[in-house]
Amino acid sequence: MGSTANMDLKSKEFALIGFLALIIAALAAFFPNLGANAEGNVDWISIPLVGFPIITGVILLAFASQESRTGKKKIAAPIRLACLCFSLIPLGISTALFFDWLIAVDWSTLGYNEYMLDSQYLWMESIGVSWHVGMDGLSFPMVWLTTFLVPITMIMTWDEKDGATYHPLLLLMGGALIGVFVSLDLFMFYIFWELTLIPMFFLILKWGGSDRRYAAQKFFIYTFAASVIMLLGLVTLYFLQPEGSGPFHGTITGRTFDMTTLFANAAAYNLGENVFLGLEMQKILFVLLMIGFLVKLPAVPFHTWLPDAHVQAPTGGSMLLAGVMLKMGAYGMMRIPIAIFPDALVYYQDVIMAIGLISLVWGSIVCLGQTNLKKMIAYSSVSHMGIILLGIASMQPLGYAAALFMMFAHGIISPMLFAVCGAFKHHYRSMEIGDMRGMAKWSPFLSVYMMFAWMASLGLPLLAGFVAELMILLAYWPIYGWWILLPGAVLAITAAYYLWSMQRTIFEGGDEGQPPESLNGETPVDISVHENIGMIILAVFTVIFGIFPFIALGMMDDWTVALFEGVFNRGGI
Amino acid sequence: MIDPAYVSGLSAILFTIGLWGAFSRKNAIVVLMCIELMLNAVNLQFVAAAALWGDVTGWVYAIFAIAIAAGEVAIGLAIFLSMYGQHETISLDEVDLLKH
Amino acid sequence: MSGSIILEYALLIPLLPMMAFPVILFLGKMFNGTPGWINKTKEGGLIALPVMGASLILSIWLIIDSLHGTSGTTLFTWFESSWWDPATGAITTKVFNVGIYIDHLTIMLLFVASFLCFLINVFSIGYMNTDPINDNRNHRFYAEFVLFCSGMLGMVLADSFIWLFIFWELMGLCSYLLIGFYYERPSAAYAAKKAFLTTRVGDVFLIIGLVMLWNLFDGHLDYAYVFNPQNIAAVDAGSLQLALGMMFIGAIGKSAQFPLHVWLPDAMEGPTPVSALIHAATMVNAGLYLVARMFPFFAATPIGSMSTLAIIIAFIGGITAIMAALIAFVQMDLKKVLAYSTMSQLAYIFTGLGAAMWLANNGHMEAATIALGAALFHLFNHAMAKGMLFMAAGSVIHEMHHAHHEVHHHDHSDDDHSANDEDDDFDAQSMENMGGLASRMPITATAMFFGSMSIIGIPFIGGFWSKEGIIAKTWEVAFLEPSFFIPALFILCGAGMTGFYMSRMWLMTFAGKPKTEVASHVVEKTAWIPIPLVVLTFMTLTAFIWAGLEVTGWLGDYDSGHFHGFLSGILYEFKHIFLNHDITLLLLTYVAIGLSMILGPLYAMKLYGGRLEEGQKALPWMGWFINLSGRVNENSDFDNSAWANSSLTKSLHKRLHFDDVYDAAMLKIVVGCANLAALFDTKIIDGVIRGIETTAQDASTKVRSLTTGSARDYIMMAALGTLLIFGLLWGVA
Repeated sequence: MGSTANMDLKSKEFALIGFLALIIAALAAFFPNLGANAEGNVDWISIPLVGFPIITGVILLAFASQESRTGKKKIAAPIRLACLCFSLIPLGISTALFFDWLIAVDWSTLGYNEYMLDSQYLWMESIGVSWHVGMDGLSFPMVWLTTFLVPITMIMTWDEKDGATYHPLLLLMGGALIGVFVSLDLFMFYIFWELTLIPMFFLILKWGGSDRRYAAQKFFIYTFAASVIMLLGLVTLYFLQPEGSGPFHGTITGRTFDMTTLFANAAAYNLGENVFLGLEMQKILFVLLMIGFLVKLPAVPFHTWLPDAHVQAPTGGSMLLAGVMLKMGAYGMMRIPIAIFPDALVYYQDVIMAIGLISLVWGSIVCLGQTNLKKMIAYSSVSHMGIILLGIASMQPLGYAAALFMMFAHGIISPMLFAVCGAFKHHYRSMEIGDMRGMAKWSPFLSVYMMFAWMASLGLPLLAGFVAELMILLAYWPIYGWWILLPGAVLAITAAYYLWSMQRTIFEGGDEGQPPESLNGETPVDISVHENIGMIILAVFTVIFGIFPFIALGMMDDWTVALFEGVFNRGGI
Repeated sequence: MIDPAYVSGLSAILFTIGLWGAFSRKNAIVVLMCIELMLNAVNLQFVAAAALWGDVTGWVYAIFAIAIAAGEVAIGLAIFLSMYGQHETISLDEVDLLKH
Repeated sequence: MSGSIILEYALLIPLLPMMAFPVILFLGKMFNGTPGWINKTKEGGLIALPVMGASLILSIWLIIDSLHGTSGTTLFTWFESSWWDPATGAITTKVFNVGIYIDHLTIMLLFVASFLCFLINVFSIGYMNTDPINDNRNHRFYAEFVLFCSGMLGMVLADSFIWLFIFWELMGLCSYLLIGFYYERPSAAYAAKKAFLTTRVGDVFLIIGLVMLWNLFDGHLDYAYVFNPQNIAAVDAGSLQLALGMMFIGAIGKSAQFPLHVWLPDAMEGPTPVSALIHAATMVNAGLYLVARMFPFFAATPIGSMSTLAIIIAFIGGITAIMAALIAFVQMDLKKVLAYSTMSQLAYIFTGLGAAMWLANNGHMEAATIALGAALFHLFNHAMAKGMLFMAAGSVIHEMHHAHHEVHHHDHSDDDHSANDEDDDFDAQSMENMGGLASRMPITATAMFFGSMSIIGIPFIGGFWSKEGIIAKTWEVAFLEPSFFIPALFILCGAGMTGFYMSRMWLMTFAGKPKTEVASHVVEKTAWIPIPLVVLTFMTLTAFIWAGLEVTGWLGDYDSGHFHGFLSGILYEFKHIFLNHDITLLLLTYVAIGLSMILGPLYAMKLYGGRLEEGQKALPWMGWFINLSGRVNENSDFDNSAWANSSLTKSLHKRLHFDDVYDAAMLKIVVGCANLAALFDTKIIDGVIRGIETTAQDASTKVRSLTTGSARDYIMMAALGTLLIFGLLWGVA
């Protein structure tokens, strides 16, 4: 890019704006065709959905990284704006898909292994890799969540230092995450899975806290090692497929990485009668795959990377990490091992339940003993992800829908939690719980959002998290009986640590409050306009999904029914 | 004609001497000489084998080896020359920049 | 099920206040401090008032419309999910609906809730807006107030246990926010947290009970399904009893009964309207409502199958009644006496409910409906009376504050109204600082007088009609089931104790001579406050009308048409209570009356009675009482110092050590575990990871040492390697 380094700054800004205008014009030129074409083929829309953020993210990064220090400061504003606009386009696409503005989408008509916007292009002929993307009731809420969270994160952290490289990294992150959720080819899935690690690594490394090097390394190596184990499982699975199956099987190996073919092959067997690949193989592959997903979830005892990563990560990184990245683990679990290895699932049902229960209980007890606000929220994420495992172990559509809805609800609530922590870091320069008192006096908006987010996270009804917890409990009792007292106890413990942390930070303090030492006597301020906007949007959506859960729950329920009819119901146990 | 066995034996002895010298000498030029010695010993072995089996391939390999050895010596000497320019010494013990 | 227009609009009753919440909050934030906001809208009070008024009108319309039978409607589906039967592979859809359900219980509580919400709103405008400590933050109060009201009204109208729970939690949230209204005080923040966590522990059991119930009833929690006797009969009674028992624990938490009662006294940290509304009149009734809703289960299950639960309910009620009354004996803070009184009276209702449930489950349906009716009527009376009492207490405290301000800041050069300045360690809530206020605050004193009489159960006034019913019915059950003797005995003694502590409270505050200078300067002058006091006094005095309307029977069994006409209704009640044909019950009634009306107040008068000072005159209906108390006090030399110095009293001062034990358990056990777990997580679980790290690094360091940097070594390694390869190749091949 030597030539661009020689261009002066003004012309670069013009180039950027021109680039932006070109993209928008191109899309505008295409969109009228779509409206008129209700029946038409819009399957290609998933390519801009995924590719757009990634490509523009890379280009902007390249632009920005060539600059000198002062250049970077000047170019930060237009790049920020450009990134925000580029991130709104996938949001527009996914919302339009939801409201049937592009094509008529009826999620309830999808059976098992059927997808909306299913498009497939051959990629590597020799080994059977294709660009195969599609969305169903499992992945679409996650896609929408990702496209929703990326602009919100950008707005929330608008003033982050070095914005010229920060915001393109967020964009890149968003694109990679969308790619994970829409890909229907194992190879592609793995590529995007690993691709998400890279922007997060750099986000933690460059914008993180004092111990960021250690945290970034630990995060990367830990999750990468687990993904490699998962890769081992995936490749074994690839080679165990019968030769010549599927339309895009590789010319040399005779097998394909295509997920739909794999699912169709597995579905030819019956749960409990002929077992796909034999029970022993299923168990081995199940364990291999699950290790990768469990570490990502994270489940106790593989969770120790999360607190370090969160405490050191910048606010935006934490928001995306907790909001979407953790859900990748749950999504992967539901997509692959559960669907093709139902016999192994039945075999390991109690183990999964135990891991979920341990995560749930351990996460919340450790939370109670934390003094760092962000670490406390990180452990509460561990705890909530344990609920998802409980839903999976219940082997009921009610439980699965609950797990899915928990993924979704937690994806809206936890960015808000971390945004509050970030605001504390930003304005009070301290995240220690005991350091301050009575901050509600100085930062009323922050206190209100903190209370709201805290209450949402502990499962207050009419806010997003309640329905998921209720459904999990409803599914749990008939199968596991009095073990339900443990999740119940966790409800109380969660309330305890959240309330305790609120009491210590925003309440008490007498008439004047006690600001933390890290402020060195400055007057505490309230949150900025950007943080306000971001948090209020998240709050509004928390309430919307709390009062009207069926918006997302409808398609999740349809998917779980299709799963049970298609996978668990053949032949009966 | 000389019995090729003897030529092989000479070749082996020369090779061993060269190898021992490459291990144990400190002077870089001497190590280079020893490597040349090893190469020549191998040449000798090729010639002996060619004589034994009457296959011209052996002669060809020997000529290749000579040409390559020449090139290698040139490069080696050039490296040692610049090494001397940097470190004022060609003792292999004293130059250990790649030490962990 | 009848359909009428009001049912379509019934959802507005909780929805209007809920929508007012963000409006008041937002407007308050925007216009905070402006004179228009403060005067025209009373910082949101005059926005909340018409909203609560509208809810009240709609509620009354709904009530009038629903008097002829149970009704309700399903409004829409909230969400659906599916259940899979592994054996057959069948997938059934489970639906969760939103709807309205109206029966007698709903009507009663709807009236109580909406009426009291409205009146307490009126009270708040007078109370909150004239206290400088609340300047510029009343909008938060009114916003949280309307949100709470929407929670209560929603819970009452809900048609399924799930929505009961949802609004239950919403009320818990508002209670937390309102108790912690003065959040800058550590005691208030602590009290709010304690309230939330204690009720949360109960809620855990409640939700587990709901889960069990859902599974028992094949995926239904709506009243129309679960109250159907055929569906109930199809369910295993033992599991049902267990589920209901779990739910009862939740009710214990919410209604502050033993052992989850510790939060209620601390909850008095909130402003007085909060105490009146939440902790006397509405939220604590939620637990009672829940238990009352369980009645159909007891009626439809096999005989005797759920008696254990009924006995437990009654026991908890009896224990709490005595315990709370005892602790109330030693309280000096006006609001705390009322808090413990609430606890005790709620326990009465629980005991009555326990008796009703037992009777229903053992086939005595006629008696059961009367018992249920008595308990619910007592709920009604208590809510009215206790709400009034708290408001009157608030009035007293308010005027004490004003008087204190006048006395100690007489020179108006000191215009600083900060809270700390005001107090000077003067506790305006302590009865030790009051006295002789009957002449100075006539309306308040009257309200408190009749309110106390209602609570004590003085004949013909308020609570009498229902309290006698509860005591009678509990003793009736005691003769049938011996384990009921203990609760029955407890509530009988409790009647006397109630007489004592309520009289003590009234006499210390209103009779005798003012104990401090501040008390002598008190004047009743705040606007708005007297209105609800007058209204509720009227309601208390006219309770005999309800009794005459056979409301006891009506509440117990909705569809029973016992109405004999008003006058004959009164005569019937009269005969039933004072001239009962059953000799034991007759004796009982008179003993109870004697204890509560004569013995209790007598001892109170002996210790705390006293005439007003010279020149002060109280209104005639109180004057005779004060003079009597003065005479009794002067003529008795009852020395209670032995009692006052006993270890029981010391223990009562510490609230029977419950708080100490719970705090210790929380701190030492739970937090101790938590800290240990946090340490374990960092050192051991993470330690494994760090161990892997260090091992890898050490191994790497060791292997690295092969790179010596010396060319000679490399030549050696190359040669050795080559030899090895040759050896392997020729050795193997």
